[in-house]
Amino acid sequence: MKIKDRSQAGFSVIKGVLLTILSVLCVLPFVVIVSGSFTSNQEIIRNGFSLLPRDFTVEAYKTIFRTPEDILQAYKMNAYYTGIGTALGLIIITLTAYVISRKEFKYRNTVSFLIYFTTIFGGGMIPWYLMYANVLNLRGTTLAIWFPALITPFLVILMRTFIVGAVPDAVVESAKIDGANHWRIFWQIVLPVLGPGLATVGLFQALGYWNDWYRSSMFSTSSRTWSLQFYLYDLVNSTQAMRQMAQYANVNTADLPTQSVKLAMSVVATGPILILYPFVQRYFVSGITVGAVKG
Amino acid sequence: MSVAVMRQNNPIGRRSVTEHRNIYLAAGAAILLLLLMIPVIPWIHLTNPDALFDVMKLKASAIKKLQASYPVFTFLAFVQDSKQGILGLWSFILLLIAAATAVFHAWGIILFFSRKKIAAKKSLLGMYSRFQCGMLFSFLLAAGTLGLIFFANHHYGMQGFHAGFPVYVTLALSAAGYLSSKAMERKERILWHEHGFIEEVRRNWILFLFLVPCFVFFMINNYLPMVGIYFAFTQFNFRDSLFASPYVGFKNFEFLLHSEILHLTTNTILYNLVFIVAGNILQIFFAVLISQVANKYLKKVSQTMIFMPYFVSYVILRVLVFNMFEYDVGLINHFLTSIGRPKLDFYNTPSYWPWIITLFYLWKNIGYGMVVYLATITGISSEYYEAAEIDGANIYQQIRYITVPLLKPTFIILLLYALGGIMKGQFELFYQLVGNNGTLFSTTDIFDTYVYRITTTQPLSMGLGTAAGLFQSLFGFIVIMLTNFFIKRKNPEYALF
Repeated sequence: MKIKDRSQAGFSVIKGVLLTILSVLCVLPFVVIVSGSFTSNQEIIRNGFSLLPRDFTVEAYKTIFRTPEDILQAYKMNAYYTGIGTALGLIIITLTAYVISRKEFKYRNTVSFLIYFTTIFGGGMIPWYLMYANVLNLRGTTLAIWFPALITPFLVILMRTFIVGAVPDAVVESAKIDGANHWRIFWQIVLPVLGPGLATVGLFQALGYWNDWYRSSMFSTSSRTWSLQFYLYDLVNSTQAMRQMAQYANVNTADLPTQSVKLAMSVVATGPILILYPFVQRYFVSGITVGAVKG
Repeated sequence: MSVAVMRQNNPIGRRSVTEHRNIYLAAGAAILLLLLMIPVIPWIHLTNPDALFDVMKLKASAIKKLQASYPVFTFLAFVQDSKQGILGLWSFILLLIAAATAVFHAWGIILFFSRKKIAAKKSLLGMYSRFQCGMLFSFLLAAGTLGLIFFANHHYGMQGFHAGFPVYVTLALSAAGYLSSKAMERKERILWHEHGFIEEVRRNWILFLFLVPCFVFFMINNYLPMVGIYFAFTQFNFRDSLFASPYVGFKNFEFLLHSEILHLTTNTILYNLVFIVAGNILQIFFAVLISQVANKYLKKVSQTMIFMPYFVSYVILRVLVFNMFEYDVGLINHFLTSIGRPKLDFYNTPSYWPWIITLFYLWKNIGYGMVVYLATITGISSEYYEAAEIDGANIYQQIRYITVPLLKPTFIILLLYALGGIMKGQFELFYQLVGNNGTLFSTTDIFDTYVYRITTTQPLSMGLGTAAGLFQSLFGFIVIMLTNFFIKRKNPEYALF
């Protein structure tokens, strides 16, 4: 018995060490980015990236905020897209999910299938692009950037699962007997108890909007409508391309955004998410757990 | 209760008395309509070919291929041979309607012949609705043909086309067939206490109102763009307006078949298979590991840390990968130099990239699946483990014979969902890591990146891009349907839908 205990204890130490190593490996890349952003550019070019800043400096952040117009504009647009997309999307998703959760609605299976069908078949990227760019003529508008991501089928199904779990059928039935119509049931009975569902779906939605660069790249005609991630993408991409050119031609790379500025930009662009992340993590976990159970 | 009363209450018993003679008329109409669509019966005639070809400015070599009249299924051949792109989309939609018509009529007729078997168990509403759909599509087909002829005559400013008698027969017959099957359906509904669409709208109009924004969204974002599938059959250009580019049949697909499709398909599928296999193994490993750790604090913190990469945007991932693998200042090359090894040129060597892409896919997505598995493990009753411990099972045996087998259902569900998306690429991942770096395409190009590149940089190849997208979509669709079909037969609990 004693021997077994000792082997168990040894095993639990190994488990702990292994888990710690793996977790640290997952976070390591973040450390590289953050430390790089606090390192001077000369140091990076001379000695490459490192895990801890060898000479701590906030020069890169100063450079970014010396002319803050561009990045503030991108921040503003990102906040706008995330705000409007999350709010509007959340309302539409919840309304739809409520309808397909109602057993008395004759076409609920048809509607569910039509929503699901969009995930298994579609016209593809080009017809989708031409729809917004040429048929609706939305190139260059902000509408084209937030509208196409308003509803995600997965989130509709997730929300339906939340509604079914939070509101027993009997409650809705008795409300109906008392003369409430669906409008009142939705606003006064379903919404008030749907807090966790709204938080979870809303956070998924907000994350998608915050991290989006793709629609900005497709539909923007000027840098004023760029989302934050696309602004960063453009910055990184142009330096990357210039550097590659500089290998072959004699291009002056002194004026390009430096390595450390790029890293500082990355930190600025991700900052809000990583700060909020520990507080909202449990909602994502509950969403993933609920979503994995087939509803 | 007397037998008579029981018969009264059971709709199946009562219907056998009231079965309609009309049912034969509807089925007969469906058969006739189906016969009228046989590809040898001409629907569209050229009234005055010589004058028409003159207006179309056709060369003699093109005229030689043309016929004097066309069945509904082959009018697109006329559009292609005479290079009249302007008629293409309309004819294409007619072809799709014709296909739908044939399917619904055939379906209705099959149900008609097995109606006695069906009626013994349930209502015949399904059969009537197939008939109605068929009739409706027939009507649309005939009306659409007339519309096409009107449009073409108007466009060329002359009486170039006219409709053959089958069009008018179809128009009249389908209208009559629709009305009669509607009437029968109504009676059947009363029998079964069912109600129709209008009654449903009257009862639940608020629910329909709730669905309006959702309907608008999916129409604009998903369903209307499906019309654009037509671009796959054209030599797309912006000069002729959006829908008037020359119709070229399957040329784009032929071109793809000879050039890109093989390596795009294998790349897409292979990457996804690796993602699925490696991803699930690691996710299960991490989940089991976390669940085994006793220290609550370590448990929580490690879960947070492993899940964190999921929240990072792919643009940041690009910065990260660039910083690690860049030639001059990258972390890895710096390390190699410091231990006296030669540098590696990652951004010009395709063979490294499958490893890099897989590594970062795993880095970003392990947390997500781990949460799913962890939830399943948490749900496993502790009694199993206690019992195992009493029987003397050590920790490995407990994992091997309790935890892992009980994770199987979750694994199967995740696997099936993943298989359904096997033709879909992780577009953002690939595009951000590789970008427009042509040297790496041989090992990193997937359907999504290929189509995106065409959309943004080669507007003249959009027909080709649509064809590639359509191939991807159809292939994926077939995979999902087959997967679902076999799963449903084997174990309905796991079915996707």
